[in-house]
Parts: sequence; C-alpha cells; structure tokens
Amino acid sequence: MKPIPILALALLLVLAVPASASTGGGIVGDADGDGVLTSAEYASATLAYLDAAYMGGTGVLDRTDIQDAAWVYTYWDGRPLTITDSSGKTMTLYRPLRRVVTFSGESLETLRSLGFDMEKVVAVDKYSHEKKTFFPECQGKANVGSVWSPDMERVLSVRPDAVFLYATISVSACDDIQKRLEASSPNIRVFRFDCFKPATYAGEIRTIASMIGRKDRGEEFASFYESTMDRIRDGTAGVPDGEKTRVYFEYWYDYTTVSAGSGYNEKIGLAGGVNPFSVGTTEYPTVDPEAILLADPEVVVKLAGQGLAVGGYAGHDPEALGAIRSTLIERPGWSSISAVKDGRVYVIHSDILGGAQHFIGTAYLAKWFYPDRFADLDPHAIHQRYLTEFQGIDFDLASKGTFVYP
Amino acid sequence: MLSIPANRLFCIALLLLVVPAAATGAPVTRTLSTAEPGAGEVFTVSLSIDGVALGAVVETLPPGYTFVGTDHPEDRVLVRGQQAGFAVMNDTRITYSVAAPASGSGDITGTWEDFLGESYGEVAPSHVAVDGIETVAMSAGERPASQEAAPPFAVLAAIAALLIAGWGGRR
Repeated sequence: MKPIPILALALLLVLAVPASASTGGGIVGDADGDGVLTSAEYASATLAYLDAAYMGGTGVLDRTDIQDAAWVYTYWDGRPLTITDSSGKTMTLYRPLRRVVTFSGESLETLRSLGFDMEKVVAVDKYSHEKKTFFPECQGKANVGSVWSPDMERVLSVRPDAVFLYATISVSACDDIQKRLEASSPNIRVFRFDCFKPATYAGEIRTIASMIGRKDRGEEFASFYESTMDRIRDGTAGVPDGEKTRVYFEYWYDYTTVSAGSGYNEKIGLAGGVNPFSVGTTEYPTVDPEAILLADPEVVVKLAGQGLAVGGYAGHDPEALGAIRSTLIERPGWSSISAVKDGRVYVIHSDILGGAQHFIGTAYLAKWFYPDRFADLDPHAIHQRYLTEFQGIDFDLASKGTFVYP
Repeated sequence: MLSIPANRLFCIALLLLVVPAAATGAPVTRTLSTAEPGAGEVFTVSLSIDGVALGAVVETLPPGYTFVGTDHPEDRVLVRGQQAGFAVMNDTRITYSVAAPASGSGDITGTWEDFLGESYGEVAPSHVAVDGIETVAMSAGERPASQEAAPPFAVLAAIAALLIAGWGGRR
C-alpha cells in the first residue's frame, strides 16, 4: 500500500475548493471555474466537505453543497445545464431543484410522470391541493393559491428554489408572479411550461426530464406519449376534408361549444373531427339550438368536469354520466340528428381531455370518430398504463373513477 | 405446522425493538484481517460498499492505532489524526492498513454518506485489542454519541427476553 503524505494533501485539498464555490453562480466544487466539474475536482470537493464536517477542518462546503455537486457530476456530466422553457427564456442551471413550488397542476403531474422526488415539491396550487384522489401526496403541502390569486407570502415562506408557472395561458398573471418572485429572491428559478398542449408537450417532457436528471425516464415517457399521438395522427392522415366526421362538442354548460382558439377544438381536429362551430372569436361560444339540428353532427361529445361536476378521478359514477347523455338525447328535435340516431353521443370528463392527460381523451375521440380506423386503439389500456407506470398511483380504472360514457 | 409459543413471540418482538435501527441495512460494512493484532503489527481493514455511487466514508481509529496506507486513489483520501476520509466514486471496496500500538483496545468506528441517495449513517463498530488484551475503556465523554452504550433498559430487556425465550422454548 502507498503511504499518504497526509498534511500536504489535506492542505492542498482544502485550498483547491474556493470559498465562493458554495454559493450561487457556478457549480459547487468547480475549483478552476471553467464550468466543468471534473472527477478530480469532485473528489477534492468531497474531501473538503469531509474535512469540514467530520475532521475539524474549516472548509465551507456543507452537506447540501456536496450532494448538489454529486448530483451535477452524475446527471449533468459535471456541467451547467442550459434550457429554454416554453416562454422562450433561456436559463442556465448550476444546481438541482430542491424546493419546488408548482402553480400548474399540469407541471406537477409531469414532474410525477418523470419520477421526480415529490418530497421536493414543497407547495402546490389550490386546484392540485383539492385533488385528494389524484394527488394524495400533496395534501400535506402548502397551498399557494392560483395564478390569478397567488398567496405570495406563502410561496416565499416555503423558501423555494424553483417555481413552475404557465407559459402561454394566464400570461399576465404569471408574469406578475414571476416579477414578484424574482424581486424577492434573485436566485429563484422560474420556469414557464404549459404541459397540456399537443404541439409542445413532448418537448416539454424532455426539457423537464433533463432539468431533474431523469433523461431516460423522460425519453420513455415522451415515447409513450408520442406513440399515442402519432397513432392518432397517422390514423386520420388519409381522411379527405370532405369526409371528416362532423362533431358537435358541448362544453360543461348547455349549448356552449368550443371554437378555434380552444384547446378542446385542437383535440377534435387532431382526432380527425370537424367542428362546424369552430369559427368565431369567442373561445366558448353559445350556440343556437336550431343551428345544432341544422349542422346534423355525426358525433356529439359532451364535456363533464369542473362546471358539470360528476365523474373524473373523484368519483366512480357511470350512472351520472349516463344521465347526462340521456338528457342530451331527449333534447327537443335531437332524435332527428345523425349522432343520436346512430347512437354516437358520448360524455367525456375533462380530467382526460384537458391538462397533461389530453392524449388519453384524444384517443377516445379518435376511436369515437373513426371506429374502424382505430379498432386496435385501446384508450382504456393507455389510461391505465399511464396511471400505473408513469403516475405511480394505485388507481384501478375498473373500479375507480368515471371518465367516459358509454 | 410450526407453532411458536406466545411468550416466545413476545420475546422476539421485544428483541426486535431493542436492536438499534442503525445496525440494519447499512450500505457499508467493515472487516478486519485480525481483531487481535500483535504489538506494532500492521493489519488490514476492508470496507465493503453496496449501492453508494457517490458518497464518502470517514473512519475513526482507537487512540494509539495509526493509519498506514490504502489502496484507494491518493486524491480521494484525507487523513487527519485518528480519522481517515474516503471519497467513494462507484467503489465497492476500500482497503486500508493500520498499525497497532504496543498495547491498547477500542473500536474502529465509521460514518458513511450517500450523496445521491441523500442519506447517511454509521458503519457498525469493529473492536480491536492488541494481543486480545482489553485495556481500560475510554470515558463516555470521549466517545462519539453513536458509540455510547445502549440504555440500561434496552440491555436488561434484551437479556430478559433471551432468558424468557429460552425458558419458554423448553416448556
């Protein structure tokens, strides 16, 4: 065995880690400041930590510092991570996320899909807080309100190092929260992601996965998501415009539909449907009942959810969704429209059509619009796999929740 | 079918309660080439590491025992007095050598940290005694808290449980 030049080595190691390394502005332990934590620098930092923590030395690294250094060395190859969020802002990260606040249930759900340690989520928005069945682990976390009515005092009290806000909805409210956070805590990292839009979700999954050191898991989840969405796109690709399924989509409220600007309309289009009421400037326009009869939709889809509170994760109640369908069918004059005559009236819960689970609901729409083209598509199985494999929650769709009817 | 008397079950449960949690499941274990070295003899200490990718181990030797060397890379070892710190980087085994004093006994103690797993704990102590001869124990104040003797109640309870279990089993 080799003898160790004890004192000289100890002094060298302690000197090798500058005092500034423990604070922001670089990777902990990057002694030469070149932006790369090498193996030797990491080892040096470890010994400096041991010296300070156990051996009476005077180093500045604490346990969190060395854990962060180990994390960056392992998951970011010892380099800072530069990301661009969905608002277009580019940021460089030097440390992992340790104390996260989410103002967006979609970001929270995506973090869970990616296997993020939920203990590191220290506060959530009020809607996620209310979802006792879906986010049981969040019941004990601080509630920071909503983007429209944030409890900033509560946010700051949990000392977050990262906050998730929406990127392209409620922009002014989220901008305001971001400004207030950055004014109060200059080192706080504010990330803007939507996590509900088909056009950007796969990219967001991969970006967030990199941020939390779960690239492999991110690739796995993004592939799962993309395989469903690609199957839907491929299945509807050959349908000529004139032969696309005519769909009347009714929002929570009676005779209220969705127009071109809404996310639900985008999903109708992705599933190969045509919404005759998509034109207009209002996102959720009211429709003349006569116009529905004239449009003669081939499929009717009614949305249940917040404004029509039955089903979803909160309750197993197929009869309630069935009753909603019966009410639709019994509307004056509806017996003459094709959807009713052909038995193609459906109810779907917003839990699986909006938000991060939109791919599940879109799969149901595709199957309803084109049963022959999507005979092999099994949205129920996709849903169950998502819950079990990615969300990691014990939720058997056979006996819990109600999401579609029939 | 195997049947266990109720009193024996109770005793087993009691024993489980008094076994320190730290003694179970530690990812680092220590073995010595000898626990009874001769005076001045150099003996080997091996640390077996399981499931710690990036972490550390700090070993503390009894008074009089001295650290001699290690097969661990030089830039991942720090020695100060009776303590040796090792940076663990995907290592599964670390070996170091220790020179025994002319006389003396005590425990080699250690602490491990798993930086990625964000956990830490103690390596179970290993007793050494030159020529197997015990010397006067250190005062309690000299020992790290983790090495302090078990509370009298725990010791008495464990002894009682063993006695009762043995008696119950013969009935």
